[in-house]
Amino acid sequence: MTKGVKILIAAAALLFVGSLVWILLSFRDSDSTIVEVVQNNKVIYTFDLSKEKDRTIRVNAPDGGWNDIKIENGTICISDADCSDHTCVKTGVLRSEQIPIVCLPHRLVIRYADKRDS
Amino acid sequence: MTIKKLNLVLLTAVILSLCSCNDKQNTGTKSSNEAVTRDVFAMDTYMNLKVYSDDAETVLNEAEERIYQLEKELSVTSENSDVWVLDHNKNADISDDTARIIRKAVDIGSMTNGALDITLYPLVREWGFTTGEYSIPDKKRIDELLKNVGYERIKLNGNKAELSENAEIDLGALAKGYTGDEVIDIMKSHGVSSAIVSLGGNVQALGSKPDGSSWKVAVRDPFSPEKDMCVVEISGKAVITSGNYERFFTGDDGRNYWHILDPKDGFPADNGIVSATVIGDNGLECDALSTAFFVMGLDKIKEYLADNPENDVILVTDDRKIYYSSGLSDKFTNISDMPAEVTAID
Repeated sequence: MTKGVKILIAAAALLFVGSLVWILLSFRDSDSTIVEVVQNNKVIYTFDLSKEKDRTIRVNAPDGGWNDIKIENGTICISDADCSDHTCVKTGVLRSEQIPIVCLPHRLVIRYADKRDS
Repeated sequence: MTIKKLNLVLLTAVILSLCSCNDKQNTGTKSSNEAVTRDVFAMDTYMNLKVYSDDAETVLNEAEERIYQLEKELSVTSENSDVWVLDHNKNADISDDTARIIRKAVDIGSMTNGALDITLYPLVREWGFTTGEYSIPDKKRIDELLKNVGYERIKLNGNKAELSENAEIDLGALAKGYTGDEVIDIMKSHGVSSAIVSLGGNVQALGSKPDGSSWKVAVRDPFSPEKDMCVVEISGKAVITSGNYERFFTGDDGRNYWHILDPKDGFPADNGIVSATVIGDNGLECDALSTAFFVMGLDKIKEYLADNPENDVILVTDDRKIYYSSGLSDKFTNISDMPAEVTAID
């Protein structure tokens, strides 16, 4: 085997490994534990539920209202709010990518962050 | 092979490799391949618009404005809306949008033997579904209000609409479907080929995902509305559901009363269907039919679809069974614990 062929094989191997790493990095599943809290079209929090500690955060609405967002054991919900209908609280924990937690009166949405095209 | 030639091959391979990486990077970061989303709070619901376009902001701004415009025209409670004026004055010059929706409502009302009836509004109000002050009206009151119900009480001549005395309409059963169609049309007019919108749970897709695959749309489990029941794969279709879990209250008698009323008796429709999903090209029609199907019950739906097989359906009955039309057989995935079967309807 000539020196040139060895270089070619080494380069091809390097390219192969490099491509593999590239593919893995590009196509890794965007984690479905990433959620975002959106108020009036502005993302005010992004949480990775697999890493967040259990806690409750109060989000104040521009109109003076509030929602308590509770993170517990890798789940997220609105545990309390001063809105009139409490639909956001009744929704319970976020389960589905297509069913966000919504507080209409306070224009607050908790949903999974975009998972590319799904 | 000489070292020189090898170097040339190597260089070519590296350049090709870099080119392919570069292409990949572009497809990943180019705005037309990245979703831009917009939340819209209108028509008393939450809407989410997701569009893939280099000009997404312009498209979304136009779509959002159109939603607010339609809300102004179609709201039953906003003073000076077409519907408000018609309900109060019994005649009105209405917009093209309102006329189109009323026309469709009357058509579907006629085709479903009155299962969809937009003149039920006084009863919907009496039950408290418009105000949130729920109560079970007494039978006498319901019968009295039913005297003014009937889609034949609407007269439409071009953009001039008339209602008979004491009749009132509400376009809530069709407005979101029509709005979805209009939003999709705006996106199309800007050359968008990939978008998906959810208007209070009504999903409408433009084309397929940017990678060419179908959109996967989940339908809620009516027995556990916080969970999904099934997933259906669609491209360029509307998926619109009417369910008994959407708006309801529990009466003092412990029973649940939901907002879709049966025009025949003025009580919440209870003909065996707890969720009716209609999948088709036209959001307005799907929206209207999902309400009508909820009221009709399984046998009458089958009869309707035998004559009008254009749309697909996913139906859930109160004995926890899922029925779906054969057009969905390779697009439907059941993720619930309920048995699902293809209905012989088309």
